Amino acid sequence: MTATIVAQQAINGIVLGSLYVLVALGLTLIYGVLVQINFAHADFVTLGAFAAYFVMHALGGQYLLGIVAALLVGAALGWAINITVFAPLRRKGNELLPLIATIGVSVMLQNAMLAWFGPVPYAFETPYSQKVFRVAGTFFTLQSVIIIAVSATTIALLYAFMKFTFLGKALRAVAQDRETAGLMGINPNTLIMLTIVISSALAGMGGAMLAPVLVLTPFAGASVIVKAFAIVIIGGFGNVEGTILAGLLVGLIESFTTQYLDPGLIDIVVFGLLLLMLAFRPTGLISERREENV
Amino acid sequence: MSVLLAADSLELAYGDAPVCRGISIEISEGEIVALIGANGAGKSTTLRAIAGMMTPRAGSIMFAGQDITRLPSHERTMLGIALVPEGRHVFPFLTARENLELGGFKNRRDNAKVRRMIDEIFDVFPRLRERSGQNAGTLSGGEQQMLVLGRAMMSEPKLLCLDEPSLGLAPLLVRDIFQTIKAINKGGTSVLLVEQNARYALETASRGYVLQTGSITASGLCAALAKDTRVREAYLGRAAAKAGAA
Repeated sequence: MTATIVAQQAINGIVLGSLYVLVALGLTLIYGVLVQINFAHADFVTLGAFAAYFVMHALGGQYLLGIVAALLVGAALGWAINITVFAPLRRKGNELLPLIATIGVSVMLQNAMLAWFGPVPYAFETPYSQKVFRVAGTFFTLQSVIIIAVSATTIALLYAFMKFTFLGKALRAVAQDRETAGLMGINPNTLIMLTIVISSALAGMGGAMLAPVLVLTPFAGASVIVKAFAIVIIGGFGNVEGTILAGLLVGLIESFTTQYLDPGLIDIVVFGLLLLMLAFRPTGLISERREENV
Repeated sequence: MSVLLAADSLELAYGDAPVCRGISIEISEGEIVALIGANGAGKSTTLRAIAGMMTPRAGSIMFAGQDITRLPSHERTMLGIALVPEGRHVFPFLTARENLELGGFKNRRDNAKVRRMIDEIFDVFPRLRERSGQNAGTLSGGEQQMLVLGRAMMSEPKLLCLDEPSLGLAPLLVRDIFQTIKAINKGGTSVLLVEQNARYALETASRGYVLQTGSITASGLCAALAKDTRVREAYLGRAAAKAGAA
């Protein structure tokens, strides 16, 4: 019986954790390549969720197409924030301005969504939430299977892209030494654009799969992003492998805290861990490679 | 010999602080040209301007008949200018092999060619073949210098700019590196060499320019520069200056 409960909570934790990983990876990629933080990332999550919601309903329950729509909306938002905020401010050479500007973008997007979608929470029911499987005493929905499959595939593709393709290696080169990457014939601005587009697409996609779990309001992303920041710090800023590990860890902590302690204690446990990490291992979980960005 | 690169009256500055004035340098096809001078004379700055890492305040740079004064560094690399920066600047968390692959970014659509070129570089530097899977940051200084030379050659440059290739290397290795530079030049690549070790620089190059506090104060054939009393006194040491006077 206890083994079943542990297995059940492990599944729940991994489902939640893989969504956190999608959102946190975007933050960590942008930090790794640009040494910048995109505060509007949270709103890209929310907009991805709304895009998935509306596309799914317009197409009569095609949730998977909703996920694709969220990915595209996220990518478009990333492209837009790069040409309006990151690229022009980078030319000015000030490091603080982009950070402040993304806070501005975030406030703007939240209020725009409030105006369009209203403050009343949307019930995001996918056709897969009701399909329940039972395996060896544990329950899971088709929705969780989709979440795990889509997240795992996305993360694996991203990893392979970074590790094995010319463009992925160029992206890591830009993260490690932007000027020298330019000397290789790599246009750093193109790769920075690519990084922001990928990161934002991940955010949108994460939103599409988080929304059925959370309460979908214009502020849905904001509640996730704080945890995503904690994950990025626990994993080591800019460290992709650390972020994946930390995301899953936080997901598991949440589900086991819910089971054995109290759901109200989740944030206390997660942020307690964050404080401990900052105090004793500020470079993150995988600290042998602490200087590697991306 | 036709002119490959012609920098004309460059004025270079970091922000508002002027560093170089009236820098005019010419490099012909197939030539090795040395740029010598004391620390802070503006040698690296001149090289950065030629490679496109900074834009001159005034003056112009022509390369292979094209005005490149305002081109960013990545476009100059595509045209055939490669720079090995001072302090080597390997990508520390990419393997030695990946560093070389990125040097061949120009040929990224032709994997077979990139592989073949890497093999050629491994033939020149067998040590790099042994280290190919290791992160570049873990290589020794000499190995890193070989790696950045190989990485620069991967872009098939017409002009190879080298900033202090001997810095921090053991004397025996320095000799090797200069041998390699000569071999690269024999293969048809022009070389612009910035070097504090003026003796090696003047031995390797055919012509030279002497930079002093941001201006060119002497230029000519290296054989002549090596005999110039002022050059000897300033850059080849007092003993050499006395021997020359005697």
